[in-house]
Amino acid sequence: MIPYMMNFFKSFPFHLKSAGVSLIRHFVMTLSASSAVMITCILLSAFLMIVGNVNGFADNIEGDIRIHVVLNDTIQEEEQIAQSKNEIEQISGVLEAEFSSKDNELKLWIEEKGEIFSIYEGEDNPLNHAFFVSVNDSERIETITNQIKELEMVDDAMYGGDSITDLISLLNTVRFGIVIFMTLLGLLAVFLISNTIKMAIYSRNNEIMIMRNVGATNLFIKIPFMIEGMIIGMIGAIIPCILTFFGYRYLFMAMNGQLFTNVFALQPIWPFTFEIMCILMIGGALVGLLGALISTTKYLHWRR
Amino acid sequence: MILLENVSKSFKNGVHALRDVNLYIEEGEFVYIIGPTGSGKSTLIKLLDGELVPTRGRVVVADTDVGKLRHSKVPLYRRNIGVVFQDFRLLPELTVFENIAFALQVIGLDKVTIRRRVREILELVSLEDKAKSFPRELSGGQQQRATIGRAIANRPRVLIADEPTGNLDPEKSQEIMALLEKINIEQNTTILMVTHDSNLVDMNKKRTIALEEGYIVADIQKGGYIHHD
Ligand SMILES: Nc1ncnc2c1ncn2[C@@H]1O[C@H](COP(=O)(O)OP(=O)(O)OP(=O)(O)O)[C@@H](O)[C@H]1O
Ligand SMILES: [Mg+2]
Repeated sequence: MIPYMMNFFKSFPFHLKSAGVSLIRHFVMTLSASSAVMITCILLSAFLMIVGNVNGFADNIEGDIRIHVVLNDTIQEEEQIAQSKNEIEQISGVLEAEFSSKDNELKLWIEEKGEIFSIYEGEDNPLNHAFFVSVNDSERIETITNQIKELEMVDDAMYGGDSITDLISLLNTVRFGIVIFMTLLGLLAVFLISNTIKMAIYSRNNEIMIMRNVGATNLFIKIPFMIEGMIIGMIGAIIPCILTFFGYRYLFMAMNGQLFTNVFALQPIWPFTFEIMCILMIGGALVGLLGALISTTKYLHWRR
Repeated sequence: MILLENVSKSFKNGVHALRDVNLYIEEGEFVYIIGPTGSGKSTLIKLLDGELVPTRGRVVVADTDVGKLRHSKVPLYRRNIGVVFQDFRLLPELTVFENIAFALQVIGLDKVTIRRRVREILELVSLEDKAKSFPRELSGGQQQRATIGRAIANRPRVLIADEPTGNLDPEKSQEIMALLEKINIEQNTTILMVTHDSNLVDMNKKRTIALEEGYIVADIQKGGYIHHD
């Protein structure tokens, strides 16, 4: 393996040169295959921006959704409270039950409804002790709420409402659709690149035969084509990278870093755009490599 | 060194290029293959080179069953043999120097060794002044000598040459013969040479195998050309 690697590095200039010559020779095909990668990458970039931000929104929302559990007025002792906390946390899907004393409840009530309720402060507080329960999967929040309601010491339990969970499941569906669409586009790009490489192989057929005649291994012959495929892929990724860099910056500035409210805070420009650009370049190279691999395994083997 | 057992080769179009050929060539031998055009000489060479697979029988070169080689192993096998092709097969984008160097590059020699060896070879085939020329800038004879140079560059144990003097005048032909004989004697390289040149065969008498319509019709030690009446 080591001597082979040495050979690889020694002959690397050769591989690079033949890949370059071939790219120029098949300029039109290179251009069309690169354009396919380019379109795929632009869409991929847009999708990544949406997905990245939607994920961020979802995380924010999910962090905010908690079940408000009000205990019966019979639960007053510290021991009873500890036991209730224990029972709630035993329910699967529950992350944590955070205690909120009736004084705290009243404080929240006053914050929400106004100063007038401060007359109930102290001994007259009519409210009960409560818990704020966080869950690990927002889609199961309804089931969990119902389970909590059935507990003996619980008076009532409620959560933020259906609209938020609906939004989250909608976003999940969108994410799924995006992945499928991206895969299809990626396959189209792979196909176009493999076609370009196929033409390159055909036009160098004679050369390939001569290389085999003087003892060049299959891998040695394939390397220039694989480099060529990767270059086509990366050429296609360059413009989308530039668009990503300036486009997201522009959007971010124009919208002041958020969508309507700060619950929907946009991903910060750095490192978000950098991550997307890396994914585009690596994706382009991989798509190119895959296309080249398909063609080289398919079309290099019909002559001994 | 070279063994053919009941070898037949027919093509899809129904042509039987070789029929039941049996042949044994010892290490260090120098053998002519003669025969009229279309008699199967090039087919025999391609079988030895691994480019064609026999329809029937076995082709063994230097302990390798050539017909049974996997596609990926064929190039590795070829590193042990040198082949001079009837149609030269030089890489058009590379100069003469680079063409010969390329054959050494693919087997992984280092740059300095390659350069030294290529200069040696160019001198041997008298192409020193054409080192930087491209194949299309050379005459047929010059291309032929470049091909011979490439074939012998890595000191193969077996040299298979398809009409290596086909495009040369008698004087140059004799020079090439002298070169091949030198390699044959000094490096003990087994040489199989296809030729049409009756003068050459008569002047440098060696074992001669005659093909006709795919059959071996004669195999004569110290033969000379077989003339038809
Ligand atoms: N790839 C092929 N497909 C079909 N027929 C072929 C193929 N190669 C050779 N032949 C046929 O096989 C026969 C032998 O051909 P071959 O090239 O071995 O002859 P040769 O002795 O080398 O002739 P020459 O002296 O003209 O070079 C010929 O009839 C030829 O037409
Ligand atoms: Mg021939």
